[in-house]
This record gives sequence, structure tokens and C-alpha cells, in this order.
Amino acid sequence: MSTDWDVAVVGAGIAGLTAARVAADRGLRVVAYDRLTPGGQLVNLTALHDHPGGTGPELVSALTAAAEAAGVRIGYAEVTRVHPGSAVRLETGDGEVTAGVVVVAAGLGPGRLGLPAEEALVGRGISTCAGCDGPLFRGRAVAVVGEDEWTAEEALELAGWASAVTVLVPGPPRWSPERAERLAAAGTVEVLTGAAVTALRGEGVLSGVVVRTADGERDLPVAGLFPFVDRRGPEGLVDGLAADEHGRLVGAGNVLVAGDARAGAEQSLAAAEADGRAAGEAAVAALAATAGSLRIVDPTYGLPPEDDAGPVEAAGSTATWTDVALFTNSKPNATELLRGLGQRLQAHWELPELGFAAKESASVAADKDTIDWLSQRFKMVLVAVGD
Amino acid sequence: MELEKRGVVAPLVVTETFLPLVQAQARARRVRPRLVVVPHPVGGLNEAELAGRIEGAAAELLRMADEARGLS
Repeated sequence: MSTDWDVAVVGAGIAGLTAARVAADRGLRVVAYDRLTPGGQLVNLTALHDHPGGTGPELVSALTAAAEAAGVRIGYAEVTRVHPGSAVRLETGDGEVTAGVVVVAAGLGPGRLGLPAEEALVGRGISTCAGCDGPLFRGRAVAVVGEDEWTAEEALELAGWASAVTVLVPGPPRWSPERAERLAAAGTVEVLTGAAVTALRGEGVLSGVVVRTADGERDLPVAGLFPFVDRRGPEGLVDGLAADEHGRLVGAGNVLVAGDARAGAEQSLAAAEADGRAAGEAAVAALAATAGSLRIVDPTYGLPPEDDAGPVEAAGSTATWTDVALFTNSKPNATELLRGLGQRLQAHWELPELGFAAKESASVAADKDTIDWLSQRFKMVLVAVGD
Repeated sequence: MELEKRGVVAPLVVTETFLPLVQAQARARRVRPRLVVVPHPVGGLNEAELAGRIEGAAAELLRMADEARGLS
């Protein structure tokens, strides 16, 4: 059966990129989808303690380079639905595609407490990325909620910025003795077991939480709260695929599941990498079983398509060098940084004014209308992309 | 990076920590990015610290901009 891709991977984190690379190494046509950028949760880890890959972004860089070298195509689109069949159909932000095998490696969603007003405080004190937002809480108290390795790692990272880190552990801690030692050695970290957050304090911005322990309830004033509980898998993404109580999927047929998205997965980088490798090999085996002994390989696969030849002049653009804009990702201080740099350029080139555009948040892709407007109207755009 | 593919000069301001990530994304998109790299972090800085980031990056931005415009 003819399909657009031999293997389509949903999620380009450590498991997905590894699965994609293993399958592409065997000559398969592989696409790995991610809605914004490769990396998954690795993007949020500025230090890796159980993997020799350096920082999270450095490991992402290495994994992406290896996948690309093997011929994997990175698809920058969100996969919104997967329909199993002999040719699996995927609905993506770029339209529908088919694949012989799909590997779901979409990871877990952000942690949530399920409390009233929680969503309104996300980005206003509530965060799930210590590496990204930890510096915002420099010299202030924060709390971390969870009981797994990830919780402990984020608490340790926050200890580098915050004046005090309280780790609220609903059940028994599940982190390793090595991490427990590091938590104990960090002078600003306190671990409270049997602790649950029952309410959030703050009008518009988080100012504290109410914590219940065996001793009763008390207010804990904190400027930041990092919940890592109730993280859900990608339940509902694949028609008819079973999920466990955490929404993590059980693979079936030619829809495989790898990494944290898989029911029963151990949440560690090493396990996710091993899982990805196993899924890649399983995809190869599944396609070999379907194809028999004869396989026709596209000799152009892996070469850049013609539309990747390089920059093209924006059609219909009348922009000149006086048309310069700023485009911010709206992270704290990103706009101020861009404005400061823009003022220098404005003075240097004696520009009458600067255009301005903003993404709603750093975690969403720029919308097409904004990109269309910027590319039609401006010759140069200074972009805040990673901080 | 989409802007560069459309022929717009689009310098990307990125912190050292996230530089590998942006480079990986650029390779995957087959774009050679123009990068203005600043120390991490940017969020949480006070006014004076932010001014330091701007001061440290301005010269490279102006050089890059002049080069793109053919002024250097």
C-alpha cells in the first residue's frame, strides 16, 4: 500500500527523535512532527543529571542533528488526530498525511492541581518550567508540587534562584536516593510529605497557597508554584487506542507508543531513549513484515526538496531598509530587550519608527497572518525567540 | 526562521542556554540563522541588568544589520 510516509512520529522529544532516527537509519521515509520545535520536555531542562548529553537544549541539538543526518524530516505541525488502519491517517495542522506505521511519542501534558482559578494564574506565578521561569523568582519563595524524579529535579534547579523552595509531596516521594541526597544538601529546600495544595492565593498574580498536612492547614506565601502532578498522556489522540488511568496509551497494531506517553513507562531520559529505540526497531519490523522481501527505496529521499533552496523575496513586498520591526515572544523582559536593541538600530539608521508585533506566548507558533504581515511590510524584523 | 525563508532579514535574539535549540531548529528548517546571543537569563533581570544585556548585544546587532544592508 502506498503511503506518504513509511513512519510518522508524533512528538519530537527524546523518544520520538530516537525512534525516527532508528527507522530512518534503515532506509525508511520518516517524518517527526512537533508543533513548535523539536525537543519536548528536554527544552525545559537546563541541566541533565541522568544523561551524558549536557544541557537539555544541547541534547535536543544532537538528537535533531542525528535524526536529520539519517534522513528524518521534521514536520512543524501539530498532529490533532490519528486514525488507525492499514494506512494510518494523521490529521495535522498542515493537512492530512498517511503512514504505514505511527509512533506516538507525545509525552505528557503539563502538571495541574485542578483548583479554581488555576488556569488564570498560569504565567502569573504558576509555571511548569524551572529552566525557563526560575530566574523570574530570584530571591523569592516558591513551591513545587509532586513526588517524582522530575519534581525533584525542578526543585533543585529552582534552588539556584529562589530564596526558599518548599517541595510539597502528596504521597511518598518516588525520586532516587541520589536526588534525595541532593535535595537534603540544598540548604534552601524543604520537603513536606503528605502535603496537598487545597487553595491558591492571589488576585491576578499568585501570592501564596494553602497547604494541608497531617497537622492541619496553613498558608504558605510563595511567588511561584510549579505543579508536576496529574500530568496526562495523549488520551484521545488515536481513535480506539486504550489508555491507562493517567491517559497514557497502549500501542496496538501499527500504532506504537514510546516514551512518557506509553502506559507503564518509567519517566527518565534513559528509559525514554531506550523506548524510542525499541519503537523504531518495531516500526522497521512491522513494515518489513508487510512488505515481504522486496523493497523499493526512493533514491532522492533525504535530499532537500526544491522549496528548501534558500530565502526567497516576499512576493509583492514593497519594504525598504527604513521598514524595520520588532517581533516578541512576550516572555518577561523579551519585549524590553527588543525595544532596547531596536532603539539602538533606530538611532544608527535614523529610522523614523519601528513596527511591532507580538506572539501571545512563547509556547505557541507564530500565527500565519502575523508572519504574512511582517514579511509583506518589513525589510528587517528583530525577533525574540529563545530566552 | 519563516521570515528569513520569505526573504526578510530576521536576526534572532537568543540566550546562550537556548542557542543549541535554535540552531537545531534552524538546521531542521534549512535556514542559516542570524543570531544575536545574550547571556541567560533575560526574564527576572532588573533594569540595570537588562541594560547590560542590551549594551552587550547592540554592537553585534548593528554589525549584522549593516552587513545585511550592504553598508559594511
